[in-house]
Amino acid sequence: MQTSSAEAVATITSSGNSVMQGLLRFARNKPLGAIMGTIIVLIVLMSVFAEFVAPYDPLDTAPLMAREPPDRVHWMGYDEVGRDILSRVIFGSRVSLIVGITSVVFGTAIGSIWGLASGYLGGKFDLVTQRAVEVWMSFPSLVLALSLLVVLGAGLHTVIIAVAFTRVPYGVRVIRSVAIAVKEFMYVDAARSVGSSELRVMLRHVLPNCVAPFLIILTAHIGTAIVVEASLGFLGIGIPPPTASWGNMLGSAVGQAINPHWWRIIYPGLAIVITVLSFNIFGDAIRDVLDPRLRGSEAQ
Amino acid sequence: MSKYILRRLIMTIPTLVVISMIIFVVLRVIPGNIVATMLGGGGGGGGEGVQMVDPAAIEKLMEDLRLDRPLYEQYLHWARGIVTGDLGDSFFRGQKVSEMLRNHGPVTLQISIMAIALSWIVGLPIGILSAARQDSFLDYSTRLFVVLFLAIPSFWLAALIVLFGVLIFEYYPPLFYSHIWDDPGGNLAKTTAPAIVIGLGMAAMIARMARSSILEVLREDYVRTAMAKGLGSRVVMWRHVIKNALLPVITIAGIMMGFTLGGSVAVEYAFAINGLGVTMLTAIIDKDFNVVQNLVMIYAAAFVIINLLIDLSYAWADPRIRYE
Repeated sequence: MQTSSAEAVATITSSGNSVMQGLLRFARNKPLGAIMGTIIVLIVLMSVFAEFVAPYDPLDTAPLMAREPPDRVHWMGYDEVGRDILSRVIFGSRVSLIVGITSVVFGTAIGSIWGLASGYLGGKFDLVTQRAVEVWMSFPSLVLALSLLVVLGAGLHTVIIAVAFTRVPYGVRVIRSVAIAVKEFMYVDAARSVGSSELRVMLRHVLPNCVAPFLIILTAHIGTAIVVEASLGFLGIGIPPPTASWGNMLGSAVGQAINPHWWRIIYPGLAIVITVLSFNIFGDAIRDVLDPRLRGSEAQ
Repeated sequence: MSKYILRRLIMTIPTLVVISMIIFVVLRVIPGNIVATMLGGGGGGGGEGVQMVDPAAIEKLMEDLRLDRPLYEQYLHWARGIVTGDLGDSFFRGQKVSEMLRNHGPVTLQISIMAIALSWIVGLPIGILSAARQDSFLDYSTRLFVVLFLAIPSFWLAALIVLFGVLIFEYYPPLFYSHIWDDPGGNLAKTTAPAIVIGLGMAAMIARMARSSILEVLREDYVRTAMAKGLGSRVVMWRHVIKNALLPVITIAGIMMGFTLGGSVAVEYAFAINGLGVTMLTAIIDKDFNVVQNLVMIYAAAFVIINLLIDLSYAWADPRIRYE
């Protein structure tokens, strides 16, 4: 269990044989995290090769079979226009993963640059922008994303932007605190005294310390981002139909109040839960490995 | 203490002003020609649809919405409206926004209050117990519960409850909301399930935070001292640990309260409850900007007030802040 933070980063960033060793060590130390990591890899493979995995075309309608429950050929039944739900669940993983991952990467990256500048420069810039971040964070993510989508209109890109926007303040917060701690270190003073510019100190000496926290926020927020995306789809303002997304599949199913179709509600929801659960537990494991100080400070 | 409260109260005013400006800029300025968007039906700032509409209709709408005035005047008009309580009209529904609030606000407020109460009643004891008996069966089941609830979207849980209610118990919740003093049974039949869904999600967060916070405090020197001088573990727990561990729990619970408001949109939709969340959703889909703008402002103001209450409860719980 005594992997130090630097070692862990080294195992992740180095190449060749040591990657295998690093992965093995991760699997030994964090078996649950490794299992969840494997599930994530499987989900990613499933979404990349959806054309080959899915038994049917997710957009192929069979109006006569509309709303039919699962049978031996269509394991998850049919939706309101007779599309195969299993195939739509498989293809729906694309939307969830694309939105979940890219929005968190963009949002956190922007937030991190901002946090780095804010923490390192301090002063008025820090004071003013931190108030803004507080207000920003205080807004419920869904309300924020909803209001943005009114303005931007629905679509894959706009959903990514809206979800990314809700993730920015978390990056700012964490990276800012890292930058504030690191800028007091001796070697930062040393670098400055030999005449390095502020920008160089920031990028060469402070930034590398932000890599591990950056990865931690990244993995920790993908699950949340997937839920926000699914909520938007559920409310009918996310990815527009007919593209399959777990959220919009659920949204079209709940309108049916009398005699509801359990297969249209259970399967897409299970897909969300399994994916989010995997990302959350994997993220916790990554955090424990990359930042031993945080180990055990939160429920696992 | 009163000085502290006063200072915090005064500080909320500029925050609210800034928030209102941001909302105004995002919803009123960025979309460009609102009337074109509204009448043309095109998303974003597209103005293609505008040619198809009667110019007189546009002009009338512009005048009604005061869109022919300069932006700062529009903003001031809205700001004055907030202060005097006149929030203007819905663009489409021929209804005053304040009337919509009266119709749809109570159910959302009631569900939120019930959910918050439930989250504390369930979350705090579970968190305390699982920290006090670390690595016990209870602790493991708590952690499982927490991890699961963090991954289950509240709207899916809501959909499942509706689904199984209908499939297994053939139970249909009442269609309309009735006030608790008019029809207590009908009221609770409508609000209990959503309150449980939102409340359990928050309870998971509170339990998680309480557990980790208590475990941290248990490692403090003064806890060892208290134990060493022979105090029973129950006394140490109540007098020394829980009191100190409560601060972060209050913070997270406050933040969660804001999320109940956000979460209420999807949960209300799933339960077909015509509350503020669904009202906002409809307004967003209709591009009814005046309603959206006011509702978002109300959500933000609610959050600012919750934050204020959190800060005040800090001062109550921690004398160091009170006498700062």
